[in-house]
Amino acid sequence: MKKLMAVLLALILMAPAIAMAQEKTANTAKEFVVFLDKNSRENHFIPSGWMGDYGDIKMNDKSADNPHSGTTSIQFAYSAKKSQNQGWAGVYWQNPANNWGNKKGGFDLTGMTKLTFWARGAKGGEIIQKVIVGGIKGTYPDTVSVEMGPIELTDTWKQYTVNLVGKDLSYVNGGFGWTTTADLNPDGAVFYIDDIKYEADPGLKPLGKVQQPMPFYVYADRSSVGNHFIPSGWMGDYGDIKYDGSSKEDAYLGDTCIKIIYNGQATQGARWAGIFWQNPANNWGGVDAGFDLSKAVKLTFWARGAKGGERIEEFKVGGIMGEFSDSDSASIGPVILNKEWTQYTIDLKGKDMSYIIGGFVWAANVDNNPEGATFYLDEIKFE
Amino acid sequence: MLVACSFLSLFILSACQTIPGAHIQKLKNKNYRLIVNGSPYIVKGVCYNPIPIGANHEYDWWSDPNKPWITDGKLMKEMGINTVRIYQPPENPEAGKQVIRDLYQLYGIRTLMGDWLGFWEYPCPFYGDKKFQDKVKNQVIEMVKTYKDEPGVLGWILGNENNYSCLGHVNPWSSDEVDKEPDPQKQKALRAQIYYSFVNDISKEIHKIDTLHPVGLGNGELLGLDSADKYAPDVDFVACIIYRGRTFGNLFKSIRTTFDKPVLLSEFGADCYDAYLRKEDQDMQAFFLQSQWAQIYENLANNKKGAGNCIGGTLFEWTDEWWKYNQDNPQDWSLHNTEAGWSNGSYYFDIRAEGNKNMNEEWFGIVALTPELENGINKRVPRKAYYVIREFWKRPVLKKAPPKKSPQGG
Repeated sequence: MKKLMAVLLALILMAPAIAMAQEKTANTAKEFVVFLDKNSRENHFIPSGWMGDYGDIKMNDKSADNPHSGTTSIQFAYSAKKSQNQGWAGVYWQNPANNWGNKKGGFDLTGMTKLTFWARGAKGGEIIQKVIVGGIKGTYPDTVSVEMGPIELTDTWKQYTVNLVGKDLSYVNGGFGWTTTADLNPDGAVFYIDDIKYEADPGLKPLGKVQQPMPFYVYADRSSVGNHFIPSGWMGDYGDIKYDGSSKEDAYLGDTCIKIIYNGQATQGARWAGIFWQNPANNWGGVDAGFDLSKAVKLTFWARGAKGGERIEEFKVGGIMGEFSDSDSASIGPVILNKEWTQYTIDLKGKDMSYIIGGFVWAANVDNNPEGATFYLDEIKFE
Repeated sequence: MLVACSFLSLFILSACQTIPGAHIQKLKNKNYRLIVNGSPYIVKGVCYNPIPIGANHEYDWWSDPNKPWITDGKLMKEMGINTVRIYQPPENPEAGKQVIRDLYQLYGIRTLMGDWLGFWEYPCPFYGDKKFQDKVKNQVIEMVKTYKDEPGVLGWILGNENNYSCLGHVNPWSSDEVDKEPDPQKQKALRAQIYYSFVNDISKEIHKIDTLHPVGLGNGELLGLDSADKYAPDVDFVACIIYRGRTFGNLFKSIRTTFDKPVLLSEFGADCYDAYLRKEDQDMQAFFLQSQWAQIYENLANNKKGAGNCIGGTLFEWTDEWWKYNQDNPQDWSLHNTEAGWSNGSYYFDIRAEGNKNMNEEWFGIVALTPELENGINKRVPRKAYYVIREFWKRPVLKKAPPKKSPQGG
């Protein structure tokens, strides 16, 4: 009995040491697995964090249909039916399952420099809006938040890499995640993911911002993989705005354009409203992201009013101020819209476009649109 | 030997000879410097408006028999401040002269004199109206005549954020000429043309009567400076009011391309109240101010890393002003309100405060006031920023401050 007690006591005392050893494994190991195969002992995170239109997602985590390695991969079927009226959906791999930062879990992945995964589409052409490392907030927030995308899948397996050099990986609960939207995949998407893991690659260099080639789109068409900013920054009387990014009412170019209905009801009492196109979504300068658009000398876009005479106080590029602010801003306005499509230009010569998270914004007010305004935008791009 | 001595004495004489007053010098590398009495001068300044607890902006501190500037000047000198910025001179010119003299003679602190250019006139500043223009111009010229011979005067700053009125953001105004123009974009451009032409006109008039002090154009952010480039070529420097948090961003380079004049950061800074955690946070204020001063120094003349067009700054502000939140309620002027008045994401520590309102107007001082009296005035208690900037000025370290995460991780 005494011997048993002694063993138990020893085990109890050793438990923290064992846990410590587990955590430290990541610091010295060359790789750390998120997901390899269904029931693999090496899996460390669980695909439990379903987001947005979660009813649109079907997951088969033991798909035997041509896995990249081993016996299974994970198949996702996204229906784009907007079951929860969100227009987007996604899945986070968490530790423990369903941990949205409310409990301590996760891993210290210090020493890892990249995350790699393999993916393919059922047909090719399916678009993942972004993949995510970290980014879960809450009481126990991830120390890292990195996004990459959009990714247009091919019908054959391809490896993708998220560079994590220089990132603080000391606490990672959201080991991996993906999101996509109904606009990007109007007919839904079936795709496969396999062999998701963190790796220590000492030769990898930090990912500097790459000067993006021109033209660089804010918005081309609803399903375009070239859309680089998300119309997520609703401001002022946001309740007055209806946004349709896939309007087919006489698009200027391509299948769709943006239709905005601003009813001027001052729902929030601000008497003005507007939308910022951001990268990533809802980035008010708190996330180090965005693009180096140094090669841009202008931003052009096409606009028309439903009736003509709608007054937009300002169209602007940049100007988001936060911990990571836009490097500059430029604007035009007020602009009185014509009924016919008209191209407008924001001159960027002499501006510092090296760090842009706010790609485009419009703002209008009640005073100059007492009955509201309906207007259309298309082909918003840096040139 | 005699010839050699003559040359030597001539050399010594010319070396000692100084050009009186202050002027802008453009160097061969196109960098700008402010020269005061023959020597380069970095403006290390504060905006100065020492309203006591319980009073509001109408209080005539210039005539305060307890002379708050004597106490303040001593503290300022110990910190290394060499300039104060005043927004508007007092009604009593003798009181004004006495303050300028005391600060200069006792502590070597110079004064940048300002004028609001009628920005707060009811119902709005009619910059397109000849009578209004003449009234404002005469007022400014009177100020220059009154104070220009004071040795403590460093220069003149015309207006503050008056350019916002051209955009219709604050105190919007119009004129017959503007009203005739149907295109609202052209209306804005026309108002800017009128306003900056008016400022230029005043600047030229000042130069006629005072050649010893430079004239600055007060400007909110960089808005309208493309118009200033066309219509206000006779101002000597631009005095920018900038609240961009940790960094001034592209400001110095941008001014190079839009309105190539020397830059004084005439209003910038940070409050020291965390509106999210609802408590004073002197570390936060010190962090922002140190980062801002490092950028000012990086862009002084002859620093290869910068734009070479900055002549210094006057941070906002010396002491807290307890009257600002509830300006119309005298009872409230004795309360140090913790409510934030507006939102600015650049000050990201407390941006998650309710409604994202994180800017606490009553907490911008680098010196706190207490209700306790000392020498007849509210006791001054320097905050951490006072000491941090004092040390920075002694040994400027230009390494950019890393982004500092807020305690909430956001």
